[in-house]
Formats: sequence, structure tokens, C-alpha cells
Amino acid sequence: MTTVLSHAPMGAHYTKKKEAGLPVSIQGSGEAALAAKAAGASDAAQILSLTGVTKTFGATRALDGFTATIDKGEFVTVVGPSGCGKSTLFNIVAGLEEPDPGCAMRFEGNSVIAADLLGRVSFMPQRDLLLPWRTVIDNAILALEVEGAPRKEARALAEKMLPEFGLTGFGQQYPHQLSGGMRQRVALMRTFLFKRDLMLLDEPFGALDALTRTMMQRWLLDVWQKHQRTILFITHDVDEALFLGDRVLVMSARPGKVKLEQKVDLPRPRPAEIVISPEFIRLKRTLLEAIEEEAMKSFTAEGK
Amino acid sequence: MSATTLQSPATRPGTSPLVTALFRAVRGLAILLAVLAAVEGLVIVLNVKPWYVPRPTLVLNAILATPEPYVQGFLRTLTETLMGFTSGAIFGVGIAIVFFRARVLRELIFPVFVVSQTIPVIAFGALVVLWFGNTLIAKAAISFYLTFFPVTVNALLGLESVDPRQEALMRSFGASRFQILTRLQLPAALPQIFVALRLASALSLVGAIVGEWFGDTVGLGVLLLQGMYNENVVAIWAAIAMCALLGTGFYAVVAAAERALVFWGAEQ
Repeated sequence: MTTVLSHAPMGAHYTKKKEAGLPVSIQGSGEAALAAKAAGASDAAQILSLTGVTKTFGATRALDGFTATIDKGEFVTVVGPSGCGKSTLFNIVAGLEEPDPGCAMRFEGNSVIAADLLGRVSFMPQRDLLLPWRTVIDNAILALEVEGAPRKEARALAEKMLPEFGLTGFGQQYPHQLSGGMRQRVALMRTFLFKRDLMLLDEPFGALDALTRTMMQRWLLDVWQKHQRTILFITHDVDEALFLGDRVLVMSARPGKVKLEQKVDLPRPRPAEIVISPEFIRLKRTLLEAIEEEAMKSFTAEGK
Repeated sequence: MSATTLQSPATRPGTSPLVTALFRAVRGLAILLAVLAAVEGLVIVLNVKPWYVPRPTLVLNAILATPEPYVQGFLRTLTETLMGFTSGAIFGVGIAIVFFRARVLRELIFPVFVVSQTIPVIAFGALVVLWFGNTLIAKAAISFYLTFFPVTVNALLGLESVDPRQEALMRSFGASRFQILTRLQLPAALPQIFVALRLASALSLVGAIVGEWFGDTVGLGVLLLQGMYNENVVAIWAAIAMCALLGTGFYAVVAAAERALVFWGAEQ
């Protein structure tokens, strides 16, 4: 196995004591260990820590004691069966929904409530949600405009970013003139231009065809390494989670909590063929087993 | 990078908008002329008395013989219509925003609006003349009265149909309510607002003409009344033709503005 540290993204905080690849349960008894680890780690390295985040909608409990920490510069992917509360988790971290009382959230070293996070996390929802009356450039600068940046400067900034997002020459086009993959890249560009340390991506490639999807994944890794952001990425695709992430959090069926935390010690930059390497497949097996179990749970729960 | 980036930016299909607009205008004019020619022919062939339907050329001649009252009337009624339409549109959208924001106000005031709209405009017109006299304002007020309500209803509908996920995204950027209104909700409501404005363009003209019936000396409504009192059928038809010209022209302008502003169509 290759060493992790040489390929770790900048600022990532790795603990070497745990054998990589060993699933680390952080539920139940593991929670205490995690809390200890969180307390031990320096605040500077952590961008976000969630402890016991719970959310109930009427009679349904979407999240139940979700606990995780994310280090600066890390790429963390979250996988789970459908309806496991992934989107609820993201809405909370984006500041759109308050969790139930009694949980602790820390952001950049400070204790926060969800509403404090509004405007401090760059959030990209599942659908591109581009405004049809705005050009590609103007859609990309929407968040900058909200922040009060002068339009002219923001546009110049976006114009410079077009090639990197594969949108050269499309700056003045309207969303309805673009393909699905391009629209998604405009939405990503909007997210990147909203310069926040933590980026939340909610299944950004879910609606794309398989080929475009792999292209976009590789491209996202390039852009991430260049821009040095922390990314929390939701997906239901195990391959995607492993290919992209430094760490994969597997969520349990509803109510959602962390079932398994899997460190991904694959070297970076990751070539496309890595998905057929024995190491990748070994990790995939571990994840699939965990997910399968949860998927069955939610499947039988729905059948009732 | 995916292959999609390789293709050149797509150009909009079809010819330039100006050419399309010109084509539409010419086509419309041709149809109008054909219909008029057919009426002319039928009136002659069937020997219809001018009392019922005068020949279109007769009507045209009447207008051309004394063009001043028609031109003056046209301009006067146009002014009243524009005043009523503009104030009605602004008030309608404004009050829709207020209702959208403040549910309590909406529940209190909206029923009053509905009741106001059930009062026939004629009954209301007498009151307006008492208040404002035989002024331009009086006609504009009646025109306004007919205009604002459909605009309010449609603008409210448009504001309420904004995708909540889009609003959530704006909030996640830290947008204020005002920013969400100007950058998301109002533009998103624009297609609905224009549905109302097209309707309002016709209604505001009706308001202006009815307003003139309560007493005035200039205007298309006045010409209609004069034609009626003098039993001058040709004059009535001439006034009707001018009203049609004004109404159609105004509608065309509003529709053109809609095509230019709401270019993205029904997407999302």
C-alpha cells in the first residue's frame, strides 16, 4: 500500500495510528472515541464538526445523532441508501434548516447554529437551478452579486474561469441553450466562485450520463486540488464516493447516522484505471457490504 | 473534457427577430385587407343598406374627409389608456408584492379588492366623475380600476410559483429578502405578469372609452357617442375602426415587449 501523506491534499489532518482501510465505526461506543479525537485535534485543522445532529419532521426522524468531523482541505464523500437523510444533512450544513435542539455544531472553531452558516458555505443542490433569464456568466456570478461585489469585476472574474470549466465561448449563452453537463458545470462554477472554504455538493453528477460523469469527476478532482477547498460530497454511487474521496461516510437507513467511516488511501492524482485496482475493489467491497445491509433495511421498511 | 464543449456555441434558430416581426406585420396587414375587401364585396353584392353595415371604403373616406377629430380622439384616448394601464400595472405588481410578503394584509385587503371588482364599472364611473370632474385623471382612474386587479392576481400567482429550491439556494448565498425578490422572484413571475398585462392592455382601453362617456369633448368614446346620437352609422364605424387600431396596436406593443423580456419561455 502506498503511503497516504505524500498524496494528501494540503492542510488535511490525518491520524496515522489507525490502519487505513479498517472500517472505523463511530456510532455507539465509537462516538466517545470520536469525541475524544475531535477534542484532541487542533481546531485549526477542523473546518466542521457535527456532534449528535438529529432532525425530526413530524413523526419521521430523518437524522439521528449524526456525528462527523471534516478537516480543512479534505474531500469527504457521503453515501447512503435513498431517503437516508443525506439531503437533510446538507440543508442543515448549508444553514437552510435548524436541527433539533441538543446537538453541537462547530464551524471553523466556533460553536454555531445552522442559521449562522447561511452565506458561509458554498452549497450546490442536486439540480443546477440556473436562472433562465441570466447568461452563463451572470448565473455564475449570482452569489458574488448577492455578496455585493461590483458586477463588472465579478463578470471579469467569471470570464477568466470559463476555460477551466469547459465553457469557453459560452459566456453569453442562456441555460436553455446548454447541454445537461454544461449546465452542471455552470452550477459548479457558481459554487466555486462563491469563495468559501467548505463546499457542499449534493449529487452534482446524478443526472448525467455515465461517460460525462467520469469526465466530470476527474475534472472536479483537478479543480479541487487547484483551488484548495474542502468538499463534502453526497452521492449514492459507491464508485464515485471512492474515486473522489479522502474519506467515505456511509450513512445508515433512515434515521440517518454514520454507519461506517472509511478512509480511502488511494494515491492522488487518481487515474481513471484506479477503479479496477485491487485496492479500490477491496474498499468497494467493504462499502457495498455496509450499504447493502442498510438498503435492505430501508427497502423492507418501505414495504411495511 | 466532455465532447459537448467542442461544439460551437449554438445560435438561435431562425432569422433575426426584426425580420420575423416585419413578416408578422405584413402578414397581419394582408389578412386585414383581404377581410375588408371581402366585406366590401359582400356589401355590394348583397346590397346591404349602409344603415346596417357601410362599405369599408365609405368608413375610410369619412375618416380621411375630416381626420382631425379622429387623430385628436386617438391621441387623447391613447393618453388615458396609457395612464390607466401604467398606474394599474405598477400598482398591481406593487400590491402583489405586499400581499406576497404579508399574508395578514392579503387576507384583510384581498376580499375588498374582489368586492370592488364586482361593482360594475358604470356605477363606479359616476363616482369617479364626481370626484375628479371631467378631467384626464377621471378617465385614467376608470382605466386603472379595470387594470390593476388582473395584474395583482397574476403577479401574486407568479411570485408564489417560484421554485422553493431556487429560493433556498439564494438563501444559502446569504441573500437578503430584497435580493431574493429582485433577483429571483420578480423575474420568475414575469411570464405570469405579462399574461395579465396583455389582458390589461385591452381592459385599460375599455376603461378609457367608458370614462369618456361620462362627459368629455375629445376622445374615441366621444366620437362613438356623437355618432350614436346623430344616428350616423358611418361615423360609428369610423370610431370603431380607430378603437380597433388603438387596441390592436397597444396589444402588439405589449406582446412584443413580452417576447423581448420573457425570452426563456416556459422553462422551469
